[in-house]
Amino acid sequence: MINHHPSDLTLARLAGGTLGAGPQLVVATHLSGCSQCRGRLRSFEAVGGAMLDEAAPARLRPDAFARALERLDDADPRPEPQPRVLHPDLPPPLNAYEIGPWRFVRPWFRWRRLTLPEAPDANVIMLKVAAGRPVPHHGHSGTEYTQVLTGSFTDSLGQYRAGDCIEVDEEVSHQPVVDPGGECVCLAAVEGKLRLSGWIGRLIQPLIGI
Amino acid sequence: MSAPAPSADDMKQWLKAVAGRQDRGAFGLLFEHFAPRIASFMERSGLSAAEAEEISQETMIAVWRKAALYDPAQAGVSTWVFTIARNMRVYRARTAARANAGVAALRELPTRLEASVEDMALASERDARVRRAMATLSPEQATVLKLSFFAEKPHAEIAKELALPLGTVKSRTRLAMAKIRAILEREL
Repeated sequence: MINHHPSDLTLARLAGGTLGAGPQLVVATHLSGCSQCRGRLRSFEAVGGAMLDEAAPARLRPDAFARALERLDDADPRPEPQPRVLHPDLPPPLNAYEIGPWRFVRPWFRWRRLTLPEAPDANVIMLKVAAGRPVPHHGHSGTEYTQVLTGSFTDSLGQYRAGDCIEVDEEVSHQPVVDPGGECVCLAAVEGKLRLSGWIGRLIQPLIGI
Repeated sequence: MSAPAPSADDMKQWLKAVAGRQDRGAFGLLFEHFAPRIASFMERSGLSAAEAEEISQETMIAVWRKAALYDPAQAGVSTWVFTIARNMRVYRARTAARANAGVAALRELPTRLEASVEDMALASERDARVRRAMATLSPEQATVLKLSFFAEKPHAEIAKELALPLGTVKSRTRLAMAKIRAILEREL
Protein backbone atom coordinates (compact mmCIF):
# COMPACT_ATOMS: atom_id res chain seq x y z
CA MET A 1 0.00 0.00 0.00
CA ILE A 2 1.56 3.25 -1.15
CA ASN A 3 0.61 6.30 0.94
CA HIS A 4 2.94 9.04 -0.24
CA HIS A 5 3.14 10.18 -3.85
CA PRO A 6 4.92 12.86 -5.88
CA SER A 7 3.06 16.19 -6.04
CA ASP A 8 0.92 17.24 -9.01
CA LEU A 9 3.46 19.92 -9.84
CA THR A 10 6.22 17.31 -10.01
CA LEU A 11 4.20 15.02 -12.29
CA ALA A 12 3.29 17.99 -14.51
CA ARG A 13 6.99 18.87 -14.75
CA LEU A 14 7.85 15.25 -15.56
CA ALA A 15 5.17 15.24 -18.28
CA GLY A 16 6.41 18.58 -19.62
CA GLY A 17 10.06 17.52 -19.62
CA THR A 18 11.23 20.21 -17.20
CA LEU A 19 11.97 18.05 -14.16
CA GLY A 20 15.71 17.67 -13.55
CA ALA A 21 17.40 14.36 -14.38
CA GLY A 22 18.00 13.30 -10.76
CA PRO A 23 14.46 13.94 -9.48
CA GLN A 24 13.16 12.42 -12.71
CA LEU A 25 14.89 9.13 -11.94
CA VAL A 26 13.54 9.08 -8.38
CA VAL A 27 10.00 9.79 -9.57
CA ALA A 28 10.27 7.26 -12.42
CA THR A 29 11.26 4.64 -9.84
CA HIS A 30 8.12 5.52 -7.89
CA LEU A 31 6.00 5.27 -11.06
CA SER A 32 7.30 1.79 -11.83
CA GLY A 33 5.53 0.59 -8.69
CA CYS A 34 2.51 2.93 -8.59
CA SER A 35 -0.22 2.54 -11.21
CA GLN A 36 -2.13 5.44 -9.67
CA CYS A 37 0.70 7.84 -10.45
CA ARG A 38 1.17 6.32 -13.90
CA GLY A 39 -2.44 7.27 -14.53
CA ARG A 40 -1.83 10.79 -13.21
CA LEU A 41 1.24 11.15 -15.43
CA ARG A 42 -0.76 10.01 -18.45
CA SER A 43 -3.42 12.60 -17.66
CA PHE A 44 -0.75 15.30 -17.60
CA GLU A 45 0.71 14.00 -20.85
CA ALA A 46 -2.77 14.23 -22.34
CA VAL A 47 -2.85 17.84 -21.11
CA GLY A 48 0.36 18.31 -23.11
CA GLY A 49 -1.28 16.77 -26.18
CA ALA A 50 -4.26 19.12 -25.85
CA MET A 51 -1.94 22.13 -25.40
CA LEU A 52 -0.07 21.07 -28.52
CA ASP A 53 -3.28 20.94 -30.56
CA GLU A 54 -4.25 24.37 -29.31
CA ALA A 55 -0.86 26.02 -29.88
CA ALA A 56 -0.85 28.84 -32.43
CA PRO A 57 1.03 27.50 -35.47
CA ALA A 58 4.50 29.00 -35.92
CA ARG A 59 5.63 30.14 -39.34
CA LEU A 60 8.10 27.53 -40.56
CA ARG A 61 10.72 27.90 -43.27
CA PRO A 62 9.00 27.52 -46.67
CA ASP A 63 10.99 24.36 -47.40
CA ALA A 64 10.26 22.74 -44.01
CA PHE A 65 8.17 19.89 -45.40
CA ALA A 66 10.51 19.30 -48.35
CA ARG A 67 13.44 19.02 -45.94
CA ALA A 68 11.57 16.54 -43.78
CA LEU A 69 10.67 14.43 -46.84
CA GLU A 70 14.31 14.29 -47.86
CA ARG A 71 15.24 12.83 -44.53
CA LEU A 72 12.53 10.17 -44.32
CA ASP A 73 14.58 7.51 -46.06
CA ASP A 74 17.76 8.16 -44.12
CA ALA A 75 18.75 5.39 -41.81
CA ASP A 76 17.92 6.15 -38.20
CA PRO A 77 21.17 7.66 -36.97
CA ARG A 78 20.28 7.02 -33.41
CA PRO A 79 19.01 3.53 -32.74
CA GLU A 80 17.40 3.45 -29.34
CA PRO A 81 19.82 2.20 -26.75
CA GLN A 82 18.65 -0.96 -25.11
CA PRO A 83 19.34 -0.47 -21.41
CA ARG A 84 21.14 -3.43 -19.89
CA VAL A 85 19.92 -4.68 -16.55
CA LEU A 86 22.85 -4.26 -14.18
CA HIS A 87 20.98 -4.72 -10.90
CA PRO A 88 18.18 -7.29 -11.18
CA ASP A 89 17.24 -6.72 -7.54
CA LEU A 90 16.30 -3.07 -8.13
CA PRO A 91 13.11 -1.69 -9.74
CA PRO A 92 13.18 -1.06 -13.53
CA PRO A 93 14.27 2.52 -14.15
CA LEU A 94 17.03 2.11 -11.62
CA ASN A 95 18.42 -1.26 -12.53
CA ALA A 96 20.25 -0.09 -15.65
CA TYR A 97 22.35 2.61 -14.01
CA GLU A 98 25.86 2.27 -12.77
CA ILE A 99 26.00 2.46 -9.01
CA GLY A 100 29.17 2.95 -7.06
CA PRO A 101 30.23 0.85 -4.06
CA TRP A 102 28.67 1.32 -0.64
CA ARG A 103 30.61 3.74 1.49
CA PHE A 104 30.44 3.91 5.25
CA VAL A 105 29.93 7.24 6.96
CA ARG A 106 29.03 5.72 10.33
CA PRO A 107 28.77 2.05 11.20
CA TRP A 108 24.99 2.39 10.85
CA PHE A 109 24.91 4.60 7.80
CA ARG A 110 26.07 3.87 4.25
CA TRP A 111 25.57 5.53 0.90
CA ARG A 112 26.40 4.90 -2.76
CA ARG A 113 26.23 7.16 -5.75
CA LEU A 114 24.41 6.61 -9.06
CA THR A 115 25.98 7.78 -12.29
CA LEU A 116 23.63 9.26 -14.85
CA PRO A 117 25.49 9.40 -18.17
CA GLU A 118 22.84 11.75 -19.57
CA ALA A 119 23.26 14.19 -16.69
CA PRO A 120 26.73 14.12 -15.13
CA ASP A 121 25.83 16.93 -12.73
CA ALA A 122 22.80 15.13 -11.31
CA ASN A 123 23.08 13.98 -7.74
CA VAL A 124 21.30 10.74 -7.04
CA ILE A 125 22.35 8.59 -4.15
CA MET A 126 21.19 5.48 -2.39
CA LEU A 127 21.20 5.53 1.40
CA LYS A 128 21.15 2.64 3.82
CA VAL A 129 20.46 3.38 7.47
CA ALA A 130 20.27 0.75 10.24
CA ALA A 131 17.08 0.05 12.21
CA GLY A 132 16.24 2.60 14.89
CA ARG A 133 18.87 5.06 13.73
CA PRO A 134 18.13 8.73 13.12
CA VAL A 135 19.30 10.62 10.13
CA PRO A 136 20.94 13.82 11.49
CA HIS A 137 18.76 16.90 11.83
CA HIS A 138 18.76 18.93 8.70
CA GLY A 139 17.16 21.62 6.56
CA HIS A 140 17.16 21.93 2.78
CA SER A 141 18.18 24.41 0.16
CA GLY A 142 16.07 22.88 -2.62
CA THR A 143 13.33 20.34 -3.16
CA GLU A 144 14.48 16.91 -2.15
CA TYR A 145 12.94 13.72 -3.57
CA THR A 146 13.21 10.44 -1.72
CA GLN A 147 11.85 7.06 -2.73
CA VAL A 148 11.80 4.29 -0.10
CA LEU A 149 13.10 1.07 -1.65
CA THR A 150 13.03 -1.22 1.40
CA GLY A 151 12.23 -0.80 5.08
CA SER A 152 10.57 2.28 6.53
CA PHE A 153 11.23 5.47 8.45
CA THR A 154 9.19 8.01 10.34
CA ASP A 155 9.44 11.77 10.76
CA SER A 156 7.17 14.47 12.14
CA LEU A 157 5.10 14.33 8.94
CA GLY A 158 4.36 10.61 8.97
CA GLN A 159 5.62 7.12 8.27
CA TYR A 160 7.17 6.20 4.93
CA ARG A 161 7.32 2.65 3.68
CA ALA A 162 8.70 0.83 0.64
CA GLY A 163 7.09 2.34 -2.46
CA ASP A 164 6.44 5.74 -0.89
CA CYS A 165 7.86 8.88 -2.46
CA ILE A 166 8.58 11.90 -0.28
CA GLU A 167 8.99 15.36 -1.65
CA VAL A 168 10.23 17.93 0.83
CA ASP A 169 11.01 21.54 0.04
CA GLU A 170 13.45 23.86 1.71
CA GLU A 171 11.02 25.26 4.26
CA VAL A 172 10.66 21.93 5.99
CA SER A 173 13.16 20.86 8.58
CA HIS A 174 12.62 17.24 9.46
CA GLN A 175 14.34 14.49 11.36
CA PRO A 176 13.70 11.06 9.91
CA VAL A 177 14.28 8.01 12.11
CA VAL A 178 14.41 4.51 10.67
CA ASP A 179 11.75 2.25 12.18
CA PRO A 180 12.87 -0.56 14.53
CA GLY A 181 11.88 -3.40 12.18
CA GLY A 182 14.98 -3.37 10.00
CA GLU A 183 17.36 -1.28 7.92
CA CYS A 184 15.97 1.17 5.39
CA VAL A 185 17.22 1.75 1.86
CA CYS A 186 16.20 4.92 0.01
CA LEU A 187 16.92 6.58 -3.28
CA ALA A 188 17.31 10.35 -3.02
CA ALA A 189 17.94 13.31 -5.30
CA VAL A 190 17.92 17.07 -4.98
CA GLU A 191 17.13 19.60 -7.68
CA GLY A 192 20.20 21.05 -9.30
CA LYS A 193 23.65 20.63 -7.88
CA LEU A 194 24.32 19.12 -4.53
CA ARG A 195 24.15 21.79 -1.89
CA LEU A 196 26.09 21.43 1.26
CA SER A 197 23.30 22.74 3.42
CA GLY A 198 21.02 19.89 2.29
CA TRP A 199 20.97 16.83 4.49
CA ILE A 200 22.57 14.61 1.91
CA GLY A 201 25.32 17.16 1.46
CA ARG A 202 25.87 17.43 5.20
CA LEU A 203 26.14 13.68 5.49
CA ILE A 204 28.53 12.97 2.71
CA GLN A 205 30.49 16.18 2.82
CA PRO A 206 33.06 14.86 5.32
CA LEU A 207 33.58 11.78 3.19
CA ILE A 208 34.11 13.20 -0.26
CA GLY A 209 35.80 16.32 0.99
CA ILE A 210 33.78 18.97 -0.83
CA MET B 1 -3.97 30.34 -42.91
CA SER B 2 -4.54 27.12 -41.00
CA ALA B 3 -7.11 24.52 -42.04
CA PRO B 4 -9.84 23.46 -39.60
CA ALA B 5 -8.39 21.28 -36.87
CA PRO B 6 -8.38 17.60 -37.82
CA SER B 7 -10.34 15.25 -35.57
CA ALA B 8 -8.67 12.68 -33.35
CA ASP B 9 -9.98 9.97 -35.68
CA ASP B 10 -8.53 11.68 -38.76
CA MET B 11 -5.14 11.73 -37.10
CA LYS B 12 -5.36 8.04 -36.19
CA GLN B 13 -6.21 7.18 -39.79
CA TRP B 14 -3.28 9.21 -41.11
CA LEU B 15 -0.86 7.64 -38.69
CA LYS B 16 -2.16 4.19 -39.61
CA ALA B 17 -1.57 4.97 -43.30
CA VAL B 18 1.98 6.07 -42.49
CA ALA B 19 2.61 2.91 -40.48
CA GLY B 20 0.95 0.50 -42.92
CA ARG B 21 2.04 1.77 -46.34
CA GLN B 22 4.51 4.60 -45.79
CA ASP B 23 1.86 7.00 -47.11
CA ARG B 24 3.61 10.34 -47.69
CA GLY B 25 0.33 12.12 -48.35
CA ALA B 26 -0.94 11.14 -44.92
CA PHE B 27 2.42 12.14 -43.45
CA GLY B 28 1.97 15.54 -45.13
CA LEU B 29 -1.36 16.02 -43.36
CA LEU B 30 0.18 15.15 -40.00
CA PHE B 31 3.11 17.46 -40.75
CA GLU B 32 0.79 20.32 -41.66
CA HIS B 33 -1.01 20.05 -38.34
CA PHE B 34 1.81 19.23 -35.97
CA ALA B 35 5.07 20.70 -37.30
CA PRO B 36 4.11 24.40 -36.89
CA ARG B 37 2.52 23.69 -33.51
CA ILE B 38 5.51 21.79 -32.15
CA ALA B 39 7.70 24.70 -33.23
CA SER B 40 5.56 27.32 -31.49
CA PHE B 41 5.30 25.09 -28.42
CA MET B 42 9.10 24.80 -28.24
CA GLU B 43 9.55 28.53 -28.69
CA ARG B 44 7.19 29.09 -25.82
CA SER B 45 9.29 26.81 -23.66
CA GLY B 46 12.33 28.97 -24.28
CA LEU B 47 14.07 27.70 -27.43
CA SER B 48 15.10 29.99 -30.29
CA ALA B 49 13.01 29.89 -33.47
CA ALA B 50 15.74 27.91 -35.25
CA GLU B 51 16.07 25.36 -32.43
CA ALA B 52 12.31 25.07 -32.18
CA GLU B 53 12.03 24.34 -35.89
CA GLU B 54 14.80 21.77 -35.67
CA ILE B 55 12.97 19.95 -32.84
CA SER B 56 9.82 20.05 -34.91
CA GLN B 57 11.70 18.44 -37.86
CA GLU B 58 13.25 15.78 -35.64
CA THR B 59 9.91 15.02 -34.03
CA MET B 60 8.09 14.62 -37.34
CA ILE B 61 10.82 12.32 -38.67
CA ALA B 62 10.50 10.26 -35.49
CA VAL B 63 6.72 10.16 -36.05
CA TRP B 64 7.40 8.70 -39.51
CA ARG B 65 9.85 6.12 -38.18
CA LYS B 66 7.89 5.12 -35.09
CA ALA B 67 4.38 5.19 -36.57
CA ALA B 68 4.06 1.41 -36.28
CA LEU B 69 4.78 1.65 -32.54
CA TYR B 70 1.81 3.93 -31.91
CA ASP B 71 -0.77 2.18 -29.76
CA PRO B 72 -4.22 3.82 -29.70
CA ALA B 73 -4.96 1.99 -26.45
CA GLN B 74 -2.22 4.02 -24.73
CA ALA B 75 -2.78 7.60 -25.88
CA GLY B 76 -4.32 9.85 -28.51
CA VAL B 77 -2.15 10.82 -31.49
CA SER B 78 -1.61 14.38 -30.21
CA THR B 79 -0.49 13.09 -26.82
CA TRP B 80 1.84 10.59 -28.47
CA VAL B 81 3.38 13.29 -30.67
CA PHE B 82 3.68 15.57 -27.64
CA THR B 83 5.69 12.95 -25.72
CA ILE B 84 8.04 12.44 -28.69
CA ALA B 85 8.62 16.20 -28.99
CA ARG B 86 9.19 16.48 -25.26
CA ASN B 87 11.70 13.61 -25.29
CA MET B 88 13.50 15.26 -28.23
CA ARG B 89 13.87 18.46 -26.27
CA VAL B 90 15.12 16.71 -23.13
CA TYR B 91 17.41 14.54 -25.24
CA ARG B 92 18.84 17.60 -26.94
CA ALA B 93 19.49 19.40 -23.67
CA ARG B 94 21.13 16.35 -22.15
CA THR B 95 23.17 15.50 -25.24
CA ALA B 96 24.70 18.94 -24.90
CA ALA B 97 25.42 18.31 -21.23
CA ARG B 98 26.91 14.93 -22.06
CA ALA B 99 29.11 16.36 -24.83
CA ASN B 100 30.52 18.83 -22.35
CA ALA B 101 31.29 16.10 -19.89
CA GLY B 102 32.61 13.65 -22.48
CA VAL B 103 30.40 10.76 -21.40
CA ALA B 104 29.66 8.08 -23.95
CA ALA B 105 26.28 6.54 -23.20
CA LEU B 106 22.87 8.16 -23.17
CA ARG B 107 19.50 6.88 -22.15
CA GLU B 108 16.02 7.90 -23.17
CA LEU B 109 13.67 9.61 -20.79
CA PRO B 110 12.40 6.66 -18.78
CA THR B 111 8.72 7.40 -19.03
CA ARG B 112 7.80 4.57 -21.34
CA LEU B 113 6.46 2.37 -18.63
CA GLU B 114 4.58 -0.87 -18.77
CA ALA B 115 0.87 -0.20 -18.97
CA SER B 116 -1.21 -2.09 -16.47
CA VAL B 117 -4.71 -3.29 -17.28
CA GLU B 118 -6.31 -0.30 -15.55
CA ASP B 119 -4.02 2.12 -17.44
CA MET B 120 -5.32 0.66 -20.71
CA ALA B 121 -8.95 0.90 -19.71
CA LEU B 122 -8.51 4.61 -19.00
CA ALA B 123 -6.49 5.45 -22.08
CA SER B 124 -9.27 5.43 -24.66
CA GLU B 125 -11.29 8.03 -22.73
CA ARG B 126 -8.46 10.08 -21.33
CA ASP B 127 -7.92 12.61 -24.09
CA ALA B 128 -11.56 13.65 -24.35
CA ARG B 129 -11.84 13.85 -20.56
CA VAL B 130 -8.73 15.99 -20.21
CA ARG B 131 -9.97 18.36 -22.92
CA ARG B 132 -13.32 18.77 -21.21
CA ALA B 133 -11.57 19.46 -17.92
CA MET B 134 -9.21 22.02 -19.44
CA ALA B 135 -12.13 23.95 -20.89
CA THR B 136 -13.46 24.55 -17.37
CA LEU B 137 -10.23 25.99 -15.88
CA SER B 138 -10.13 29.60 -14.69
CA PRO B 139 -7.52 31.86 -16.33
CA GLU B 140 -5.37 31.62 -13.19
CA GLN B 141 -5.56 27.82 -13.12
CA ALA B 142 -4.73 27.68 -16.83
CA THR B 143 -1.67 29.88 -16.25
CA VAL B 144 -0.48 27.72 -13.35
CA LEU B 145 -0.90 24.57 -15.43
CA LYS B 146 0.93 26.05 -18.41
CA LEU B 147 3.87 27.29 -16.34
CA SER B 148 4.04 24.05 -14.36
CA PHE B 149 4.71 22.39 -17.66
CA PHE B 150 7.08 24.78 -19.36
CA ALA B 151 8.87 26.85 -16.77
CA GLU B 152 12.32 25.80 -15.61
CA LYS B 153 11.53 27.51 -12.30
CA PRO B 154 7.74 27.23 -12.13
CA HIS B 155 7.25 29.00 -8.81
CA ALA B 156 9.25 32.05 -9.79
CA GLU B 157 7.55 32.34 -13.16
CA ILE B 158 4.05 31.80 -11.80
CA ALA B 159 4.76 34.55 -9.25
CA LYS B 160 5.86 36.89 -12.02
CA GLU B 161 2.98 36.13 -14.37
CA LEU B 162 0.28 36.37 -11.70
CA ALA B 163 2.00 39.25 -9.87
CA LEU B 164 2.05 37.32 -6.59
CA PRO B 165 4.72 37.45 -3.91
CA LEU B 166 6.95 34.37 -4.11
CA GLY B 167 6.04 33.54 -0.52
CA THR B 168 2.40 32.83 -1.37
CA VAL B 169 2.92 31.31 -4.78
CA LYS B 170 3.73 27.82 -3.53
CA SER B 171 0.47 27.36 -1.71
CA ARG B 172 -1.44 28.98 -4.59
CA THR B 173 0.21 26.59 -7.03
CA ARG B 174 -0.57 23.63 -4.81
CA LEU B 175 -4.21 24.72 -4.56
CA ALA B 176 -4.56 25.33 -8.27
CA MET B 177 -3.00 21.97 -9.12
CA ALA B 178 -5.28 20.22 -6.61
CA LYS B 179 -8.26 21.90 -8.25
CA ILE B 180 -7.08 20.89 -11.70
CA ARG B 181 -6.68 17.32 -10.52
CA ALA B 182 -10.13 17.36 -8.93
CA ILE B 183 -11.61 18.50 -12.24
CA LEU B 184 -9.72 15.79 -14.12
CA GLU B 185 -10.92 13.17 -11.67
CA ARG B 186 -14.50 14.38 -11.70
CA GLU B 187 -14.46 13.94 -15.45
CA LEU B 188 -13.67 10.24 -15.00
